[in-house]
Amino acid sequence: MRPHLPWLPSRTLALVGAAVLAASAVAACSSSSSSTTSTSSTSSPSSKAPITIGASLSLTGDFSADGQAYQKGYELWAHDVNAHGGIMGRQVKLTILNDNSSPTQVDTNYTTLISSDHVDLVFGPFSSLLTTPADSVVAHYGYALVEGAGGAPTVFDSPANEADHNIFDVSLPIKDEMVPFVNYIASLPPSQRPKTAAYPMADDPFADPPVQLAQQELQALGVKTVYSKIFPEEVADYKAPADDVAASGAQIVVLGSTDVPTVSAFMQAFEQQHYTPKLFIAAAGPDQGAAFISVVGKGNAEGMMVPDGWYPGYDNAASKAVVNEYVAKYGGTPSGVNADVAEAYSVGQVMAQAVTATGGTDNAKIIAYLHSGVTLTSVQGPVKFDSLGENGASAAFVFQWQDGGTEFNQVLPSSAAGSVPIIATKPAWTS
Amino acid sequence: MSESPGAGLRGRSRLGGPDIVRIAFLVALLAVALAFPVLFPSPVATNYGVFTLVFVAVASAWNVFSGFSGYISLGHAVFFGSGAYALGIAARDWHVTGVATFGLLPLSAAVGALIAVPFGLIALRVRRHTFIVITIAVFFIFQLMAYNFSFTGGSTGVDAPFLPWPAATYNNPFYYISLGCAVGMIALAWLIRRSRFGLQLRAIRDDEDRARGLGVHAMRVKLTAFVISAAVTGLVGAVWFFYLTQVQPPSGFDPLFDLSVVLMAFLGGLGTVAGPVLGALIIEPGQLYLTVTFTNGYFSEILLGALFLVAVLLVPRGIIPTGGEYLRRLTTRGRSAIPAANPASQSAPASTGPRSDEGAMREGGASKGARRRAGKAL
Amino acid sequence: MAREIYQAIVDGILIGGVYALMAVGLTLIFGVLDIINIAQGIMVILGAYLSYELAARLHIDLFVGLLITVPAMFVIGVVIQWVFIRPLRGRERTSMTLLVTYAVALIIEGILYQTFGADDRQLSASYVISSVHLFGFYLPYIYLYGFALALALVAALYTLLYRTSFGRSVRATMQDETAARLVGIDTNRVAAITFGIGVAVTAAGGMVYGATNAFDPNSGYDLISRLLAIIILGGLGSIGGALAASIFMLTLESLVDIWQPTWAIVVFYAALVLVLLIKPTGFFGRQAVRAQ
Repeated sequence: MRPHLPWLPSRTLALVGAAVLAASAVAACSSSSSSTTSTSSTSSPSSKAPITIGASLSLTGDFSADGQAYQKGYELWAHDVNAHGGIMGRQVKLTILNDNSSPTQVDTNYTTLISSDHVDLVFGPFSSLLTTPADSVVAHYGYALVEGAGGAPTVFDSPANEADHNIFDVSLPIKDEMVPFVNYIASLPPSQRPKTAAYPMADDPFADPPVQLAQQELQALGVKTVYSKIFPEEVADYKAPADDVAASGAQIVVLGSTDVPTVSAFMQAFEQQHYTPKLFIAAAGPDQGAAFISVVGKGNAEGMMVPDGWYPGYDNAASKAVVNEYVAKYGGTPSGVNADVAEAYSVGQVMAQAVTATGGTDNAKIIAYLHSGVTLTSVQGPVKFDSLGENGASAAFVFQWQDGGTEFNQVLPSSAAGSVPIIATKPAWTS
Repeated sequence: MSESPGAGLRGRSRLGGPDIVRIAFLVALLAVALAFPVLFPSPVATNYGVFTLVFVAVASAWNVFSGFSGYISLGHAVFFGSGAYALGIAARDWHVTGVATFGLLPLSAAVGALIAVPFGLIALRVRRHTFIVITIAVFFIFQLMAYNFSFTGGSTGVDAPFLPWPAATYNNPFYYISLGCAVGMIALAWLIRRSRFGLQLRAIRDDEDRARGLGVHAMRVKLTAFVISAAVTGLVGAVWFFYLTQVQPPSGFDPLFDLSVVLMAFLGGLGTVAGPVLGALIIEPGQLYLTVTFTNGYFSEILLGALFLVAVLLVPRGIIPTGGEYLRRLTTRGRSAIPAANPASQSAPASTGPRSDEGAMREGGASKGARRRAGKAL
Repeated sequence: MAREIYQAIVDGILIGGVYALMAVGLTLIFGVLDIINIAQGIMVILGAYLSYELAARLHIDLFVGLLITVPAMFVIGVVIQWVFIRPLRGRERTSMTLLVTYAVALIIEGILYQTFGADDRQLSASYVISSVHLFGFYLPYIYLYGFALALALVAALYTLLYRTSFGRSVRATMQDETAARLVGIDTNRVAAITFGIGVAVTAAGGMVYGATNAFDPNSGYDLISRLLAIIILGGLGSIGGALAASIFMLTLESLVDIWQPTWAIVVFYAALVLVLLIKPTGFFGRQAVRAQ
């Protein structure tokens, strides 16, 4: 019988292993932690104090893919602003903290940013789920919370916003999202109109309202609902609900998704079942550019549609400049730019215009200004806030992957400037 | 704050010299805690304070059940989240606003206790690993029900009433309430530990069959501890919710919540009164601070994992017992290792080297069950 | 309606095969080492990433790649057990192993994030999206292969356990560790190798999971709780039980999906609780030998 190894050495070995890991992590941390916290251009030294802006983003955790895209957007904006001399001659200093997709951490982060770091202004976090806890801190300090990712109705109905009206969402209000799509169906002559539709939806306050609204309107147009169910967001396997949708044979599929894995799972199941809907539109996912294509493949992406307020091909000088800058810095193609980047960039732009118009960083004045009915510009288009902070001036468009999955084009409303003809029937799946 | 080894066995210990020192220390600690918002008026400090005290209370409550009885629960988030939702739903449906919402806190404690009864009756019938997985299963059932029912607000969750207080002092009332909960729970844990009830719990932990044979009503004892633990966890969950002003299924029922609590209790010392407190005091602010400082998230995860490992391997019995033993080793150096007729003297020879698992028995004598379990170490 | 039910049963069996691949390793570890390996979820994801790298960089077919990933994961498993789990002893061993495996999971997750980033991936191959048409149902090849793989692995493990001397050592250790040591079995070696096998099997599970789902480093958490439920239901340490429980649970879930997907997972866990009330040791678990 082999002698029993004495306890001490094996414990020591384990400790040494753990300590090595800890030390290397700390070493790596401290060498790189400074790289993500602030962006300030030193090209034009200014005697004026910098404008400090703080934000909490989900760099890890559930929302990490989007959180990181937002980080790129905020940083790109800060870099551009500073390269042009800053806001009113003052350089922008951006501090981004990681909240790990946790509401508790969001609370601590904004408290730290405002109360300890004394930032002049704040930007919002990613996702409707984190915006409400963020606002409960930010509102008490009287700060404006300009954000681009908290669009669910619950954000605007929250007690803090109802009391202080300090939330400003620069992006498209989600309930209008599917309107161009519904209008398109309505525009088709009844003989060509699809007869049946399926509405699978993830259990999420962002994904459900627009799909449910679409269902109502399409039913009124005579499109029969053959499937309408909500599935849990965190399900480990979408195959069964997807197979049920495929079995229904619906001609239209309106998928209430919030991320790429949901869409790709449905697409894959449809392919396995040899089922191709005539029209396939998803609430989110196909608008994530390269992150979407790399998972589903170009051939299959062809014909996939998604509603949004912006796309990389938007015919707007400022927007094109940002897209090119992003591609120059991070590589890839214009179609591969994640829509989150433009949302984040717009947040910065709106804040800059408010600061310039009010002559400073007084949040009370900024809030009043943003509620004054003024129309501002952004890479996503015009921005005008209503009393609850929603952007009433933004228009909804529907985009589609075309040209073998290489071009992300605007297709609806078909009469809008920049729209190209829609692929009316989704091509069969390719392997 | 090391425990006097035989205290539990003897019941009430007479107050002696070291006890007076201990009491003075506790009073001083309490005074500092009370004065904390005055000494450190920054909202960041009190923000850390609120979250830390919430977890002190939770860790202590968890430990009163799991640490004392040995049934590791990974489902306490059920009570935390239910307490949070109870407060939110009651405030919403009964149209309670402002400061009056605090009056609803006892409701959350009651809800926690009520849920614990059927939960405990189901889960406490099985042993160890199966128990752990049942608590996980019930946890997910609750999280999913929170998503599915409309009265819980579905995926949107529930909002708390808005308190239009000035930002500079907003945290303070929450700080004092959570301090009250924490102190109350610690006192309760201390009382339980010194009582016969606590002794029965620990007997169950050491060897349940034998305890049963000795006349302990295992189910009743376990269930009582479970319910007490649940009530406090629910109460504190409501405080946390009101402070954060929102609860949603993934935040109220957070799968990582219980693992954090286990780590806190374990780091400080499972089964002691002060252990979970110390563990929470180290880990909760530590975690918040690390995430703020090391914002490059991935490395902070690796760091956190590595720190966990170091903690578990370095202080396998927890800081309090290890520290207490170290102190005792210092003070008994040079003196005879075996004082007269003290059953806890088994800890003395063990302090010369962690050779056997009998050394892990701090008090209560080595039982056959413990020795059998010691042999199972793999 | 009938067709939907048949489809659900077919789905349940096919998906159950995938989960069986992931759960079998976990139950083996449970049975022999008596620990809950929380890192199992992230091991699946690690296996998926390894398969992804082999396929993306070296264009190695997913199943062929298993010849590399399975031994690799075996080594990783043995190392983890030897360095971090073996030293854990004492009364608090349950909490210690929970925390240690959780810590290992965190570390691996951080490394995966650092190496691969947060974007989703999915394994692809021609047989992932194509299916065979049988009795009016489309059965995707990847699921069929995965199910076959699960059966093969279960058979292989049974052969290992019941036909080899090593397997006898494993079973002896499962039954009574002290006695096993007394008859001369090196239980430390048995423990390390078993943990390694448990993790190695997970590599296969990871590959099939990664082919049927888009994944990122965060995907491990949702998995581990379901895997735990499955192995408890099947009976701790019972490999056949893990397979049976996987199929049972996933079929039940697919059936409930027809009615209301949001309740399917609740039913999953509620079924577990229900079965345990009737038979606390699960489908094929042996009577509880250990006190507490």
